[in-house]
Amino acid sequence: MARQHSADGTLVRMVGIEKSYGRVRALDGVDFTVREREIVGLLGDNGAGKSTLIKVLSGAVPATGGAIYVRGEKASIRSTTDAIGYGIETIYQDSALVTQLSIARNLFLGREPIKGPRLLNRLDHERMNRVAGELLRRVGISKNIPPTTPIGSLSGGERQAVAIARAMYFDSDLIILDEPTNNLGVAETQGVLSFVRNARDSGHSCIFIAHNIHHVFQVVDRIVVMRRGRVVADDIDPKTSSVEAVERVITGMTEAGVHA
Amino acid sequence: MENRSLIARLTARPELGPFVLLLAELVVFWSINPEFLSPLNISNTLSFTVELGLIALAMTLLMTSGEFDLSVGSVFGFAPVLMWTLFNAGVTSLGLAFVVALVVAALIGFANGWFVTRVRISSFLVTLGMLLVVRGTALFITDGFPQRTWSAGGHWLAEVLVGDFYVGPFRLYMSLFWFILFALLLGYVLTGTKAGNWIQAAGGNANAARARGVKVDRVKVALFMLSATLAGFAGIISSIRTSAANPNSGQGYELEVIAMVVIGGTALTGGRGTIIGTVLGVLILRVMRNGIVLIGVPGLAYNIFIGAIILGMMTLHSFLDRRHQGAN
Repeated sequence: MARQHSADGTLVRMVGIEKSYGRVRALDGVDFTVREREIVGLLGDNGAGKSTLIKVLSGAVPATGGAIYVRGEKASIRSTTDAIGYGIETIYQDSALVTQLSIARNLFLGREPIKGPRLLNRLDHERMNRVAGELLRRVGISKNIPPTTPIGSLSGGERQAVAIARAMYFDSDLIILDEPTNNLGVAETQGVLSFVRNARDSGHSCIFIAHNIHHVFQVVDRIVVMRRGRVVADDIDPKTSSVEAVERVITGMTEAGVHA
Repeated sequence: MENRSLIARLTARPELGPFVLLLAELVVFWSINPEFLSPLNISNTLSFTVELGLIALAMTLLMTSGEFDLSVGSVFGFAPVLMWTLFNAGVTSLGLAFVVALVVAALIGFANGWFVTRVRISSFLVTLGMLLVVRGTALFITDGFPQRTWSAGGHWLAEVLVGDFYVGPFRLYMSLFWFILFALLLGYVLTGTKAGNWIQAAGGNANAARARGVKVDRVKVALFMLSATLAGFAGIISSIRTSAANPNSGQGYELEVIAMVVIGGTALTGGRGTIIGTVLGVLILRVMRNGIVLIGVPGLAYNIFIGAIILGMMTLHSFLDRRHQGAN
């Protein structure tokens, strides 16, 4: 199998990934690549295999075949903790936050800053709240939400923003955003999109999955389309393609020569 | 504006309900029988309070992490039995017997934690099983008879654990000092430390916490050990205070302790806990037990009131939760 090293700027390379659920082949030999500082839009109809592919990459489900390389090194990703260890952070709607805890406590969960003697194990609340406040402003949450607010009383979009802020702050190389703009207001959507751009500009790569193709077009560098467990197009440039053309690839009407 | 936000913040706190209830109890009992607030009665109530209270403090952290421990009552009975058996048999000094009893209690907690986190059995079933094992062991090694305890005496251990002193007209016991110490310590751990953040996250969303590198299982095992150790410690204090190590003592304590914790506002399902609330919950139940006797209600009716308080407070907490969520 051809194995490319990161000399060409490849961050993550998935090769021949297969996944079957019983007799259902969810992924059928998928090759998928994310380069450094790149936002890849992953599109496909329901059941095309996008979420399964993402789950394999984020360690949520094991692949039944194929290999994953991170910066040219073969990676063994069997849990979300493994994935985070490789710098791959997945943001699902809602799932990665503790609703009872405050924004600041969630942001620093597992990496809490300590103040004073180590024995006292004392949380540096001031620093946590200050950083959380700054990050919230950067994400573009327009309302003035104190960092001590519990996640449970935030809207879905605000939670999304907190999760993105956390991945950014802790320098994940690859941030996977699964439907990040679902249930978001217009202003919040623009905030998240600009934050994804900022992430790219400061050196992160992103995989962006969204039903709203217009959101994808606004932010990604390259579009990959999946259909029935396979990648059917992996180098669509949003600058030179139209939304309609991509929709035709997604629905499979291109080969048949049919158009809307 | 400042005032309004202060009031708003106070009403949003889960401890407000228990605090009001405690005040109401005090006022009602005192107005019916002024003796209720006499120094003697206050001293007596406080001395009984702390033994269950110590267990409730540890249970608060354990429940915040999403687990609970039904075996505390039997450990409460078992630890002093073990200590006095070792001492009476001349195997060890009293001080060493004390340490051994606490270590064995910690091991019982470790076993609970191991079954829950490794074998993945629910804490209800694990600690129910452990309750029977530990109680059975206590009965077996004593043939069901109370162990001989030497009557008070000036032994340093007795002085440190249950020695008494007067503050004005109030006769206070050292056990109260231990309770306050642990309340401050565990309150600090829960709200002010990294460990506390892990405890709350473990109970709130264990998978999310694990994904962030929080050692959820280790947190839970440590809290099971804390719970059993404090239960043993409380049992030993009780045995010295009453000069009796009865293998049957502590029966039913697990449920009373859990009641104290949930009345205080800690969630049975985990993720949210409050030491202040637990201290209030402990006082509410002990004041109720003491007060209804003083105002002439038969002590046998105690459980009616406790049950009603649990139902009432749970209804209040649930109502406040829903109102809080509805506001957003």
